[in-house]
Amino acid sequence: MTETIAETQTETVPKGRYSGKVDIGLKTPKYLVELAQVSKHFGSNHVLKGVSLRVKPGEVCSIIGPSGAGKSTLLRCINLLETPDSGNMVVAGQYVDLGKPQDRRALLSLRRNVGMVFQSFNLFPHLTVMDNIALPQRRVLKRTEAEAKEHGMELLERVGLADKADSYPAKISGGQQQRVAIARALALEPKAMLFDEPTSALDPELAQEVLTVMKEVASSGMTMLVVTHEMNFARNVGDHLVVMEDGAIIEEGDPEQIMSDPAQERTRQFLAAVINH
Amino acid sequence: MSGFLAVLAAIPITLLVTVGAFIVGFILALGLVLMRRSKHRWLSFPARAFIDLARGIPPIVWLFFLFFGLSMGAIKLDALQAGILGLGVVSSGYLAEIFRGGLLAVHRGQYEAGEALGLSAWTRYSKIIAPQAFKAMLPAMATYFIGLVKDSSIASVIGVKEMVFTANQYARQDAETGIYTFFLAAVIYIAVSIPFAVVARRMESKLQESGAR
Repeated sequence: MTETIAETQTETVPKGRYSGKVDIGLKTPKYLVELAQVSKHFGSNHVLKGVSLRVKPGEVCSIIGPSGAGKSTLLRCINLLETPDSGNMVVAGQYVDLGKPQDRRALLSLRRNVGMVFQSFNLFPHLTVMDNIALPQRRVLKRTEAEAKEHGMELLERVGLADKADSYPAKISGGQQQRVAIARALALEPKAMLFDEPTSALDPELAQEVLTVMKEVASSGMTMLVVTHEMNFARNVGDHLVVMEDGAIIEEGDPEQIMSDPAQERTRQFLAAVINH
Repeated sequence: MSGFLAVLAAIPITLLVTVGAFIVGFILALGLVLMRRSKHRWLSFPARAFIDLARGIPPIVWLFFLFFGLSMGAIKLDALQAGILGLGVVSSGYLAEIFRGGLLAVHRGQYEAGEALGLSAWTRYSKIIAPQAFKAMLPAMATYFIGLVKDSSIASVIGVKEMVFTANQYARQDAETGIYTFFLAAVIYIAVSIPFAVVARRMESKLQESGAR
């Protein structure tokens, strides 16, 4: 692998913040996810303006900001559900030049390392809860049906839904569906998990049960990137907080620090709006 | 009386034309819908053009083309073959659009979840998308099939000896009683269509039970 640094773009980076330089040479990378100068347009709309971000192994990184800030798009670029225009990244040791089309094998290996949980759960409605969890294991990890189900059962117990193994997704609540979706992603033993507004489609009570599971996943040492509006989660569970606005990171650092004393006026406004709503 | 028996004896031919055309149409439609959905214009454009031609030209004209037109050339089709192929071509246009609608009915999140899990394209389509699309397009497919049972009678114009062709033969011989053979044919069409409709409805409700959204 040749070292390609996306520093050609001249975005002004605030002092003390990561400027977007990917360390490829390191044998044991300090960061599990590193994004450097990730840029993305939707038509003429510049949704990501050269975003750089580093997440350490085992870290829980919460991404907050007003809607339309590009939070979800950034997350979706990490497993290439969106194709960025330029930039580069290293995810679980795999270097990806984002400006180029990815070949199928690179794409599959990237996605094998990164699990994703969606706002709308996206369980497969025609499969039972157990089959939702077992099918990907059998196809991606080549586990036998018995192995996949045994593993699936362990995970269902972990998210507290062992008794729903034979139910269809439509027959369980939204919170339960999301917990199954988390189990499904964990079943593939990812190195990092992406959560795209995992509780936004749920009422507060159901959101809470999902947040409890996420907290448990975080405490197990999983590296997590979480786009969320749950400020309590970001503050209490998150290790690192990223504030996005208009396709760029405007502030990042210790969640406690930023929430109690944001450096940017825009962050202050946003926090005031979400906390007092 | 012999007219009635002859019409009854023609039932298998009607079913053969119907089922044959449906299978030919189904297979062609699978290819067409894949081409139609391709990002490459050189694949999607011919598919779209073919679909428009298949649907835009009347079935009877397709049958004349294939039966009389082709027989002037190298390939010689008998009436039955031309009937099945012609109605199959027409069916492929309609079925391809039904398939496309079924695929569009599957929520985008289902495609994305499959991708995010690292499933191969084959697994995504065969295990995730196709079963859901099938459910969405079953009513339209059943309606088309039942329509095709009746439309198979068009094959009589090129001499396929199905029910209407047979009824017509007897009607010509004896104008007074001949009309009753048509009446019998009508009853048989209904008798064949209704069980198909019932089966389709059963399948639908069964699919609905397992994992409705």
